[in-house]
Amino acid sequence: MTLLAVDSLHRSFGSLVAVDDVSFEIEPGEVVGMIGPNGAGKTTTFNCVSGVLDSDAGTVTFDGEDVTNVPAYELARNGLVRTFQQTRELSTMTVEANVLLPTPAHPGERAWHAITRSEASQQREREAREQAMELLDVFDIRSKADEYAGTLSGGQRKLLELARALMLDPTMLMLDEPFAGVNPTLTTELVAHLESLNDDGLTLLIIEHELETLTDLVDRLIVLTDGRVLASGTPAEVTSNEEVIDAYLGN
Amino acid sequence: MSRLELPAIDATRAGLVLFVASIAFLYSPIFIRPPSGTFVFLELAVLFLLYALILIGLNLQFGHTGLVNFGPVAFFAVGGYAAAILTANDPYRAVGLGFAWPVGLVAGVLAAVALGVLLGFSTLKLRDDFLAIVTLAVAEIIHGLTITFRDITGGSIGLQNVPRPIADMTGGGGGAELFATIVVLGSVCLLAYGVFHRLSASPYGRVLRAIRADEQVTETLGKRVFRYKLVVFIYGAAIGGLAGALLVFYNGAASASFFTIDVTVIVWIGMLIGGAGSDRGVLGGLALIMGFQLLTRFFNDLLPFVTQDQFASIRLVLVGLLLMLVVKYRPEGIWGTAEELEVES
Repeated sequence: MTLLAVDSLHRSFGSLVAVDDVSFEIEPGEVVGMIGPNGAGKTTTFNCVSGVLDSDAGTVTFDGEDVTNVPAYELARNGLVRTFQQTRELSTMTVEANVLLPTPAHPGERAWHAITRSEASQQREREAREQAMELLDVFDIRSKADEYAGTLSGGQRKLLELARALMLDPTMLMLDEPFAGVNPTLTTELVAHLESLNDDGLTLLIIEHELETLTDLVDRLIVLTDGRVLASGTPAEVTSNEEVIDAYLGN
Repeated sequence: MSRLELPAIDATRAGLVLFVASIAFLYSPIFIRPPSGTFVFLELAVLFLLYALILIGLNLQFGHTGLVNFGPVAFFAVGGYAAAILTANDPYRAVGLGFAWPVGLVAGVLAAVALGVLLGFSTLKLRDDFLAIVTLAVAEIIHGLTITFRDITGGSIGLQNVPRPIADMTGGGGGAELFATIVVLGSVCLLAYGVFHRLSASPYGRVLRAIRADEQVTETLGKRVFRYKLVVFIYGAAIGGLAGALLVFYNGAASASFFTIDVTVIVWIGMLIGGAGSDRGVLGGLALIMGFQLLTRFFNDLLPFVTQDQFASIRLVLVGLLLMLVVKYRPEGIWGTAEELEVES
């Protein structure tokens, strides 16, 4: 069964049509890249799918359910988690608090449990802390757990964001330019992490400019220009497509 | 980074125990009559405890969640007037319904909550700065209404003959009721501090601080941001309304002069000097600023050629100066944490 189906998505800002009839499908376990020139509508598509923006028309189906214009928090709870183009670590909180924040179904986030310091809340917090520490270990930033996230290097922030998203135990991750501004060594490391996550069954949709990194990582590419899907297929098919070469790689 | 030391006992429990003890003290025939020379300090202490209640709510709103509420006095005033109108007996040229004081206490809190719900629903979905503008405007509008609707509120003369439950229950006269008021309000304050501190120190508080840092990210990590903001705003409104009701029951009157923008200014400055987001620090800041005002009042006595009115203006300048010094040399406040407030010190 298709995991994510986007059908005839539209979104405009005033007279500017950012997303003009975008449709695509993603199967469980796939790694799909979304490429296209600046202003092609990649990020707007992401925003509409993830509930950050409302779309004007079209439907989004995730895991068999219509999730068109469902609020972002609900999608995140249901397994569709996204990151942002710029790293958005919560710099005024510690690394550990950043990773603990997404903990799903935490009783301690309700006032009564918080005030009474209920056993259920403390139990959940202990479990969450254990899981958070494991994730920080995986991404090699455990030693920074008690530091404010604002003190991390750019690369570590990317890793923190990934760890934080994984706390939600997502079925699908949508990453907006995860390799932007990341040095080659860390890019390799990130790719390795993503591949291993995919091996464990995580579906990935990745926006990227750098085609070189993507072609190795993804099963399929979707090319967007002017708010429309121009082409879709394996990296080899797409990179040899005349239209794509003209529109994006071209000249 | 400096922090006040952690107390060994839990404030919520201590507050509960003290509250029960203070009620027992009220019902007992025992009273303590402090020497009359201390009245000026005790009266200020009562005001401090009432403002501290407002500040505990404001710190949850601004210090932890980042909601810029520039009108905490609005909730203080609505709570105070609701309590006074419902309970006053035959006030001079104003409405007094003569209900028992517990009715007024509950009504004061509910009225403030109602205002909080109204403002929260209408502004918390908008950009951050709208809340600041709206709360500031609403506070001024409410102050204006209390003066112009003088047939209901008594205008600038105010609303008299409001019950004074604590004074009525305390025998002894003199300053005994002042002492009893401090005991009761002190325990209420400690309890409120304890409860709000438990909120802010829990996973609940973590969500609030995440909202302050980045609302959108918090939302995409599965949190219902709007609901948290609304609820926190209402908690602050409720405790502000409670403080207002307690004020009129202490004074036995409500008057527009109790609920001016000065209240907002003092609690905000106290919060910024103490360190927004530090639950104990903000109360320390409030104590500092109110102590400073007392000190300058004594100072005024030494300068007979300056009138009290003139000195009030000078004091405001001095308070402003103090705030400027803190913002310049310690922007996170005395007990605040620079990294959490994203300021360079």
